[in-house]
Amino acid sequence: MLKDMWSIIQEFGSLFLKGVGVTLSLAIFGTLIGLFIALIFSIIRVQKPLKTDSRFTKILKRIGSGFVKFYVTIFRGTPMIVQAVIFFYSFYEMGIRWSPFSAGLFTVSLNTAAYLTEVLRGGIQSVDPGQEEAARSIGMSNVKAFTFIVFPQAIKNSFASIGNELIVNIKDTAVLSTIMVFDLFYVARSAAGKYYLYVEAMLIAAIIYLVLTYTFSKLLQLIEKKLGVEPKGIVSSN
Amino acid sequence: MKKIIEIENLFKSFDNNHVLKGVDLDILESEVVSIVGESGSGKSTLLRCINRLETFDDGNIFFNGKSILSLDVNELRMQIGMVFQQFNLFNNLNVLKNCTIGLTKVLKKNKNEANQIALKMLEVVGMDNFINANVNSLSGGQKQRVAIARALCLNPKVILFDEPTSALDPKNVNEVLHVMSNLAKQGMTMIIVTHEMNFARNVSDKVVFMDEGIIVEMGSPNQIFDNPKNPQTKKFLQY
Repeated sequence: MLKDMWSIIQEFGSLFLKGVGVTLSLAIFGTLIGLFIALIFSIIRVQKPLKTDSRFTKILKRIGSGFVKFYVTIFRGTPMIVQAVIFFYSFYEMGIRWSPFSAGLFTVSLNTAAYLTEVLRGGIQSVDPGQEEAARSIGMSNVKAFTFIVFPQAIKNSFASIGNELIVNIKDTAVLSTIMVFDLFYVARSAAGKYYLYVEAMLIAAIIYLVLTYTFSKLLQLIEKKLGVEPKGIVSSN
Repeated sequence: MKKIIEIENLFKSFDNNHVLKGVDLDILESEVVSIVGESGSGKSTLLRCINRLETFDDGNIFFNGKSILSLDVNELRMQIGMVFQQFNLFNNLNVLKNCTIGLTKVLKKNKNEANQIALKMLEVVGMDNFINANVNSLSGGQKQRVAIARALCLNPKVILFDEPTSALDPKNVNEVLHVMSNLAKQGMTMIIVTHEMNFARNVSDKVVFMDEGIIVEMGSPNQIFDNPKNPQTKKFLQY
């Protein structure tokens, strides 16, 4: 078995490296883009109509919050593999020729956004309301109180779960090989198919995935330590 | 002395719970007013209405002769500082930044000027040796002193204290009361909701006793504590 694995590495080594690059690009950029979308969505999601709001603002807040709830329900309630296939082929049918990588990144970003919206919502709601009240009591507007006081604490509270999402994405992007994204799993599948050495090729992929997730876990722990983030809080639900 | 705050016939309800039922109260400049009464009597709600942390249903509050509803809420809050029972220091900022953030983000002062003001106010409350400390590492009394410094930084005309010592152990209570007494001596207008009867007696110019959303009795500390006229006040002070 080891001999077979070695021969696969010799022939497919550079392709495996390329696959690692694609997998990491999808996971890192997908998580970052997803986080950016989630930042906006989570803020919209926690808006509640206030007594002092105008009727228009109240309606706007309800629509915004309702839309985000709907979005989260759809993206968390369907498998990423199904989302990827729908996006890839439906855009193709509409005449938009995009690469499997672009379709994959699009899918990962939107999927991650749904999970991180809920993570950040929890992070925002876990900040003691007294913090915002104190900020308002020194003359800060709602926006300033949120930006300088509530949000930094929400991000800190959510950091572990955001890191967790990155780790999950490193593994879960494997499903994107279905739409021909040339990632680590796609390379492993190609190598397996060529020699009918499925176990050996997948063992190589498994070891690489493990090294990647372990390395990123340690990196995130280091960052958490540096930021003084306590390992409490909200854990991602996927 | 000039009236700085006038509260006229103030009503406030939370759903069917009528918390304030027609409160009238005048606060003069440099006056220290203690509001005492049982829990749920509307003391804190009254205080929170003054800087619009709560809305009110009827009546009005005037600050320097102008209805607070006609003033910009953020400008009003810059002039009426507040100290909370649970301190509410900003957990993401150290002691110095807790005091400078209002100066830099609200008053738009530059960092050096903000630091100088904050250091001065931290010195006033005896916390100038803790500028880089994480606020979560401080004792309750230290936290409350930083919270007072944070309020002082904006140079408010009035400071509202909402049970500032209720969350503290006896040792910490004294250090906070000491700071508040000094502020009173310096002529700061203060409205204090408190259960510290000795402090109210020694520091206040006026004591207000509230029960079930109304002011039952008010007067000088001697009048309220030594010669209360209302039976409810007498009963409350016996405990």
